[in-house]
Amino acid sequence: MDKDLRLGVFLCDCGGTLSKVTDFSAIKAKLQKLSDVTYVGISHDLCLKRAQQAMQKDIKDKGINRVVVAACSPELHEKDFMNVVQSAGVNRHLLSMANIREQCFWAHPDKDKAAQKAMAQIGMAINRARFLEPVEQTQISVTKEVLIIGGGITGIQAAIELSNLNLKTTLVEKEAALGGKLNRFANLYPVQVSPEEVLATKLKQVAEGQNIYVLTSAELLDVSGEVGNFSARIKRGNGEFVRNFGAIIFATGYTTQFSSQIYGLELSNNIITQSQLEEMLKSSSEVKQIPKSVCFVTDISDEHSRVSPLSALRNALGIKEKFRGEVCVLCQNLKVDGAGLEKLYRDCRNKGVLFIKFDNSPRISKQDGKIKIEVEDVLMSGEQVTLPCDLLVLEETSVPPLDSKVLGSTLYMGLDAQGFYQENNVHLYPTASNREGIFFAGNCHADLDLMQALTDASNVALSAYQLLAQGKIAVEAEKVMVDPNKCRFCLTCIRACPHHAIQEAKVNHEKMVAQIADLACQGCGICAVVCPAKAIKPKDWSDEQILAEFELLGEYV
Amino acid sequence: MANESVLVIGGGVAGVSSALKLAEDGFQVYLVERGPIIGGQAALFCCKATEKCSQCSVCLVPEKILEVAANPQISVVVNSEVVGISGGIGDFKVDLLQKPGFVDPEKCIACGICTELCPSEPQKGIYLPFPETAPRTYIIDKNQCLRFKGAECNVCQDNCPAGAIDFEQKPKELEVSAVIVATGFEVFDAREKGLLGYGRYSNVLTGLDLERIFATGDSVTLPSSGKCPRNIAFIQCVGSRDEYIGNGYCSQVCCKYAMRFAKLLQYQSPEAKVTIFYIDIQTAGKGFGEFYKECKETIRFVRGIPVEVCELSPNELEVKYEDLTKGKIAKESYDLVVLSVGIAPRKDSWDLARVLGINLGDYGFFDTQDTLDSNRTNVNGIFLAGTCQGPRDIPESIAHGIQAASKVIQTLTARAI
Amino acid sequence: MKAKGAFLPDIVAFCCAQSAYQSADAAGSMRITYPENIRVIRVPCAGRVDVLHILRAFEKGADGVLVLGCHEEACRHLSGNIRAKNRVQRVNTLLQEVGIDGKRVEMFTLAPNQGPRFARIANEVNERIKELGPSPVKSGA
Repeated sequence: MDKDLRLGVFLCDCGGTLSKVTDFSAIKAKLQKLSDVTYVGISHDLCLKRAQQAMQKDIKDKGINRVVVAACSPELHEKDFMNVVQSAGVNRHLLSMANIREQCFWAHPDKDKAAQKAMAQIGMAINRARFLEPVEQTQISVTKEVLIIGGGITGIQAAIELSNLNLKTTLVEKEAALGGKLNRFANLYPVQVSPEEVLATKLKQVAEGQNIYVLTSAELLDVSGEVGNFSARIKRGNGEFVRNFGAIIFATGYTTQFSSQIYGLELSNNIITQSQLEEMLKSSSEVKQIPKSVCFVTDISDEHSRVSPLSALRNALGIKEKFRGEVCVLCQNLKVDGAGLEKLYRDCRNKGVLFIKFDNSPRISKQDGKIKIEVEDVLMSGEQVTLPCDLLVLEETSVPPLDSKVLGSTLYMGLDAQGFYQENNVHLYPTASNREGIFFAGNCHADLDLMQALTDASNVALSAYQLLAQGKIAVEAEKVMVDPNKCRFCLTCIRACPHHAIQEAKVNHEKMVAQIADLACQGCGICAVVCPAKAIKPKDWSDEQILAEFELLGEYV
Repeated sequence: MANESVLVIGGGVAGVSSALKLAEDGFQVYLVERGPIIGGQAALFCCKATEKCSQCSVCLVPEKILEVAANPQISVVVNSEVVGISGGIGDFKVDLLQKPGFVDPEKCIACGICTELCPSEPQKGIYLPFPETAPRTYIIDKNQCLRFKGAECNVCQDNCPAGAIDFEQKPKELEVSAVIVATGFEVFDAREKGLLGYGRYSNVLTGLDLERIFATGDSVTLPSSGKCPRNIAFIQCVGSRDEYIGNGYCSQVCCKYAMRFAKLLQYQSPEAKVTIFYIDIQTAGKGFGEFYKECKETIRFVRGIPVEVCELSPNELEVKYEDLTKGKIAKESYDLVVLSVGIAPRKDSWDLARVLGINLGDYGFFDTQDTLDSNRTNVNGIFLAGTCQGPRDIPESIAHGIQAASKVIQTLTARAI
Repeated sequence: MKAKGAFLPDIVAFCCAQSAYQSADAAGSMRITYPENIRVIRVPCAGRVDVLHILRAFEKGADGVLVLGCHEEACRHLSGNIRAKNRVQRVNTLLQEVGIDGKRVEMFTLAPNQGPRFARIANEVNERIKELGPSPVKSGA
């Protein structure tokens, strides 16, 4: 604790309303009795610029070096007050706030008790202020280049948009050509453009983009460093090279897997997967035997995906457009919760595609090489329907490509139960991984249709751009600090940090300690709690500050 | 991009997301909102967690509103409508009509004295709609305010310590480089499906009613008796997947919210029985398949949308539907019926489309120019964000808003070169 | 709280800044009342709350301690709320071992827009701690 503390306490009575329920001058008198309180001021509206300018002047004139503001919730104006403190020449972290409005007078109608509580809250904030520590801000230079892994439509779109934003990108694709699923899909319904056309347009934009460096037949091996300065090791052909990037975007997509166990059937010449059908449709000029009747069976497993039922609809329509014959789609719940899907469903029906809904899974058997499907049609009171079919098309599960799983684990990126990339927080940061500066877009983390994948690509490109565009990132230096003298290098904090922000470092050329990467640290303080040696101190939320807050339980200043 | 401004029309979650991203890039943003506060529809929705977060994303909205309020580059202009536009990309001139709101959001410090002193009974004529409003301002409720009932009352104006209450109308003209339309949606009016009894029977509620009840009170009781509901029916697809009324699309949010509400109601009263009448249950989204499985354990799912809801007595409703297992009409009693209403395009989209010169597309939502671009309109420099372009949930509206902001930045960057 | 007459427990509530602290604000904004003897301490994540902090609160005279964080699977730091839950359970056990009722410390989850829920939790816990009486640590037992 700094012995030369000169606390300034600024009270706000919210337009005079709080003064009506309690005597602010009495509070001021009590506070002035404290030996380290240099100044107590009362204002009516600290949220307004005028009062903030006066506050700044008071801090300077009175030589205040710790500021306490008792007013509305810090959630509203804490940043403004931190700016005021900084503009007065005091470190912006030397501010502590007491919430005497939302969490005191507004919630407690008993004036006397509320006043007691307000006094206690101000006391807590003052106690905390005595243990506040300065945190310096620095700027770290970053590499203005983005690495995109995966050259499917998502990766391509992200590259194009980054190029439009004048940022350099390297697009790494493991196959020999860009395109991903665009090279495999026969159509993109409900989007009324063919995959060939989309690919051609996008490849043209890539070629025209000044800033896109495409590497096909290439793979990412490893990444070291942290946001702003990642060092990526890339393999291409027989060689490897290392390149620096400021941010990394994964757009590695998904692959499909067929499980014969779900259906109790093996694939054959007349039992195929949706991918196999798609191949057939794409090269329909070579179709050897035109099927008279095709049945799609979906929604059998408990896997609830978007991609799979959409494939059934797309390809059902695709077949009807190419061949004459019966097409029937069997499903439990028709999935239409996406743009244009209800219309696609009606288009299918208008073209004569039959839809049969079931609650109990259909029984599929093979007799003399012919397929027989028996299903209870729920819309016909469960009446048993027997369907002959020449070609049975079964659903596949979407799974992450094996190497993307491996890569994810290597880079300490969180993976979900299926092995897809885990979002930092599903709704708050849907395209950010738990590691600062590493993003993902498209089906490698979520089950998206084409338009949603394009939105994802856009979001992620903008995030990477806004991170790197200035060429430097402001960072708070050592806002959570490891004391190298106390650190025993037990690695507990490294394992516990949800953001992989703690790394190994050597001090004095010999001792290994944990070191927190300032750019990646999110300030949660989880490391500080798990450290058995109590070697970690979050400067804004130190143990001393927290414990000081309840020193006064039951008593008042 | 210093010195360039962008207009965002609509202060809902998509508009707010666009504004925040544009401000981050250095633009001056005018966030124009027709109503008195920003936050849109979702600002009034409730958290749907039981023990676990149900990822409805409603809690994101208050946070974003706070961020907007704190951002000096975003000017929130409320009670205003766009009534004219001229020029083109890089150089639009927009005419705003600012309707009198009587409370100046730039002066109001939200101290609450006005509401305390307001003599209007039983409901106040001036109030704060919800805690995290931005601008943080009290608003006059013209239905309750005594002035609007003919009385001479100046209590709030006389006592406001910030002098924020006044009566004045100012026209405003803005010059902006680009425009994002983020005007949102309307909740389907369940009264259009008259046979389902909304508006006639007190115990027929909509999904929106449940949002409001949970957001302010924490538990749902029967409007007729004040008791806890024991037997609840949800009717899906009210106003969606309905070619007959011109809404031939899936609203994408109703199956999810119905299941979340069902879980919440059962969490509130574990003995409550819930039945969901549906066409197809929509379960896309991470973890939603698991959630659906869990729901099937305690909730009864019945295929088929009921044709009619009748009131047998003030506390008993009867739902008539075709029992598909028997092929016969069935009637069942419930004490509460919830209509899962969908997302409908705003009726005033016609006016805005005319003013801006942009097209309306399928079902009355705004149209896009290219098949692969869900933000660009037929006017260069005017983009779409959020549900005004088509139904989507909160996270998707946010993502779409960000995408619109990105398209603006990319387009203006290209022009600068 | 020092007040004549009925026992008013001193309750410390660790509130995570991402959720609970905001819902406490919301309760106030909606003018929903809850007991004044709840002392809110803001933390960046429920996972920041140490067993040490909770025990020290009891040492300093708290009759009850609450840890309030985000709903499961909503934690911005992935598992901060789970860690907090485990720590609270550990403190329960520790308290029982020294003869203090484990029900004096509890964890709840909520979202930032659940003002009414914050108030409900505060009211219920206040009643519960009132019934348990003053903490034996306080009276020097």
